[in-house]
Amino acid sequence: MNELSTVWVPAAVAALTVLALLVDVMTPPARAGSRPTSHVGWLVAAGLSAILAGTFVWDGAGTAFHGAYRGGAWTTFVQRLALVAGVLGTLGGIDDVQKRMPRRQGEYWMLLLFSLLGMVIVPGARHLLLVVVAFELMSVPLYVLAAYAKNDAPKSLAAEAAAKLYFIGAASTAITMFGLALLTGMAGTASIEKLGTAPLNPLSTLGLLFVLAGLGYKIGMVPFHMWVPDTYQGATTPFVAFLSVAPKVSGMAVLTTIFVVGLGAHRTTWAPPIAMAALLSMTVGNLLALPQTDLRRLLGYSGIAQMGYVLVAFAAGDVFGTAMILFFMTAYLFTNLGTFLIVHVAAEGGEDFSFDALAGLSRRSPGLAAALLCFLLSLAGIPFVVGFWAKLYVFLAAWRAGHAGLVAAAVTLAVIGLFYYLRMLRAAYMVEGDRPPPTPGPGVRLAIGLCLAAVVGFGLWPRPLVDGATRASEDLLGHHVAKVALLAE
Amino acid sequence: MTHLLSMIVAAPAVAALVIILLPAGALAAIRLTALAGALVSLAGSILAHATYDRAASGLQRVETYPVLPDLGVHLRLAQDGWTGPLLLLTGVIIFAGVVASWHLEKRPKEYFVLLLVLVSGVFGVFVSQDLLIFFLFYELAVLPMYLLIGIWGASHEVPAAGPFAVVWKRFAVGDKQYAAMKLTLMLLVGSAAILVAIFLLYVSSGAKSFDLGYLASVRYDRDVQIVAFPLIWLGFGSLGGVFPFHTWSPDGHASAPTAVSMLHAGVLMKLGAFGVMRVGMVLLPEGTQFWVPVVGTVAAINVLYGAFCAMSQTDLKYIIAYSSVSHMGVIMLGAATLTTAGWNGAIFQMVAHGIMTGLFFALVGLVYERAHTRAIRKMGGFAKVMPGVAAFFTLACLSSLGLPGTAGFVSEFVVFVGAWKSGHFLWTIAGVLGAFVTAIYVLRATRTIFWGDGPNEEFHELSEAKGTEWVALVALGVGIIVLGTWPRLVLDQIDTGSATYLTRALATGAQVR
Repeated sequence: MNELSTVWVPAAVAALTVLALLVDVMTPPARAGSRPTSHVGWLVAAGLSAILAGTFVWDGAGTAFHGAYRGGAWTTFVQRLALVAGVLGTLGGIDDVQKRMPRRQGEYWMLLLFSLLGMVIVPGARHLLLVVVAFELMSVPLYVLAAYAKNDAPKSLAAEAAAKLYFIGAASTAITMFGLALLTGMAGTASIEKLGTAPLNPLSTLGLLFVLAGLGYKIGMVPFHMWVPDTYQGATTPFVAFLSVAPKVSGMAVLTTIFVVGLGAHRTTWAPPIAMAALLSMTVGNLLALPQTDLRRLLGYSGIAQMGYVLVAFAAGDVFGTAMILFFMTAYLFTNLGTFLIVHVAAEGGEDFSFDALAGLSRRSPGLAAALLCFLLSLAGIPFVVGFWAKLYVFLAAWRAGHAGLVAAAVTLAVIGLFYYLRMLRAAYMVEGDRPPPTPGPGVRLAIGLCLAAVVGFGLWPRPLVDGATRASEDLLGHHVAKVALLAE
Repeated sequence: MTHLLSMIVAAPAVAALVIILLPAGALAAIRLTALAGALVSLAGSILAHATYDRAASGLQRVETYPVLPDLGVHLRLAQDGWTGPLLLLTGVIIFAGVVASWHLEKRPKEYFVLLLVLVSGVFGVFVSQDLLIFFLFYELAVLPMYLLIGIWGASHEVPAAGPFAVVWKRFAVGDKQYAAMKLTLMLLVGSAAILVAIFLLYVSSGAKSFDLGYLASVRYDRDVQIVAFPLIWLGFGSLGGVFPFHTWSPDGHASAPTAVSMLHAGVLMKLGAFGVMRVGMVLLPEGTQFWVPVVGTVAAINVLYGAFCAMSQTDLKYIIAYSSVSHMGVIMLGAATLTTAGWNGAIFQMVAHGIMTGLFFALVGLVYERAHTRAIRKMGGFAKVMPGVAAFFTLACLSSLGLPGTAGFVSEFVVFVGAWKSGHFLWTIAGVLGAFVTAIYVLRATRTIFWGDGPNEEFHELSEAKGTEWVALVALGVGIIVLGTWPRLVLDQIDTGSATYLTRALATGAQVR
């Protein structure tokens, strides 16, 4: 009973999956000619919202499965992020799924929930075996979902998108497993908390680098980023909105648990490669985003750059840095999801995802244009939206940890980023367009509205989020010192 | 009125919010709301200026609200000796700006929202006593400019030159919004430098506080100061038009709509110079001592280079824009003297030049609306058809060249006295020479446009300024004369601020001269 209360979130997600499956199976297929309903999607969104609300009531602290799973503030925080991404991704996708694949809606939501189940186990996993299993549970459904649009058009890029995601994902899993095997062999245990007992020798260093490389694929870290723009371009846009945030949150959570908690003692070994990867990600992401003409590819490269900014905080490797990773990922989640959904809505009907899709948006739909303005400013890290605090905190954490040069480079590269975000703004506000105004469905509307509320709300009042992230980070790293003293270190 | 300062800052933002909620068709309501926001701030500024206790000096009307106490971020607003005059300037300019955009037809709702948000940022910078909040407001003041210029700017060809043009063409973004993008990116590179400097100060100060008073009391390592000062100088200086980072200014100001040029040249550029003084010089005495010869020399170059550039322009708006670059040099020159007179002159010049340039851009806007050209060679004899406009333009010109009795004279005189006292005779000479060159180009422009032969056939139908247009002209014109004949109205108060801060800036042992 005790263990069940610890793992209640994954259990609830699994139960929701079963419930959704039942509802889908029991519903008679829509008669020919009648409009298919989207009730499974709404059920999933409502169920995930209920679970999300539940996390504020039951914290699920404690350990389960002989220490392989540990609940607490950290686990809850990351689970909430996954659930939020799930809710927003579901709401954002409801209309598209209903239109695009009316007969196969159930499968889509089922796969999404499977993936989400993996995501809510990942942050609590303290045994490498559970980490790998949960991580794969998260990844495999995504490969299928990426291919969902493959029959839409003769020359659909979805198959290529899915193949790239799958092959690279599978290879990265293999590399991660190999690295973990080496580390486990050296440490003599697969428990993350005891991983630090591995002596530092060439083999364990190799294992460490392999793990970094394997997980780097998942979050789209340079030089393991090649799949990002192609997949983003090929898959259905609402799914990409989800793909661009949720797995990255989980990837960051795993990186944090393995490196900061498990291998914290070897920080001097892994911090330099991560700092280098951060620098490369920011540089490559920002520079390659400049010449893009497809908005999804542009956002793909922008996402790579954003991961670079988080890795800057990661290189700090302390409590403050870890807290700020969470803060940044929260900001990134709302912002990037919102941006992708707006691109989806603006390009509605056509397959045109160039800047023209946004042309004249401020006249056609002032509300959407204003939301896009907020999201882009947040991505660029401009004050009064949440992205500013995210960048500020991440950079401050890195600066305190002695990475002043890295921060200077990051700040400079962020200005380059502003160029392409402003190009998008320019398309929306300054270029005249003659398309009809977009007509987003209720789901997308709600999702964009929620993202906007979070981006502006946390931008004006970031304190609750900072406090939550700090508590989560303290919980993870087991530092139960007073927060004030902690921040003063 | 314990919340006077927050009211001044919030009034335009609240007006902007109200306008967002109004339907786009309710033109009269939108204009009146904007005007109300501007008037509340103006009235508040007058009140704040008038009731500042000079004898007590120091920070007054302090308001503190915690934002992120764990990190040491507080929304801390207060008024010092410098604040009152600068608030007054901003209040007058935004009032004149709203009036000058009264008849704007293109998307007025969005326009007024952005304009008011921007002004909230400006007011915020002047009253912030917390470095991070200072920076937030600064960004808020800089960013709306991108849309304001990009959407409502004049659609003339901006000559693309320099490294930025290469990037622009490479990505084929089109050239209509070139000026807007150039301005935004150059200013944000500056912001990036400022942010790095803020981190440096915050971390080296050792405590968790962004309070400007606290940060000023810390004695940083000499190395930190020598690194941080140029970051702040060039970071804020890029907005302050410091050579060679001024190139956004002519393009940007020439492309911007009238009220935006007024606001940008009149107030925003002052934020840059204000930032250099308030943050750079007050917080980093040793860094300042180290770099001040460079700062002053560059300022002298600014004065001369801006004046000579203005002389070679044929586009009226470019002339005024380059004259701003030149006059911003006077401000930085005054700051670099590190004397009470120099600093008084610098702050006074911010106010004086702000009002004068505001008047200039308002007039250029009027002339352009009627003549549809800004090439001065095509104009001539306009005084016959618009005598009132001609009179105000001449007044602005006289202030620009520093005629006694106008505001421009007071500030230049005080700055040059400061420069002389500080022993930098070359700076003084450069400044005087700049004033001389200014006289040449402004008088030439006035003569050609208003007092020469003509007007040509096509310009016979031009009409005099009318209605609301007079309001802006009179408000700014009266400002120039009042400041010129009664400078103590603001100078006494500026002096209390300069005295406090200069003592701090020279805390390393040098004497206040």
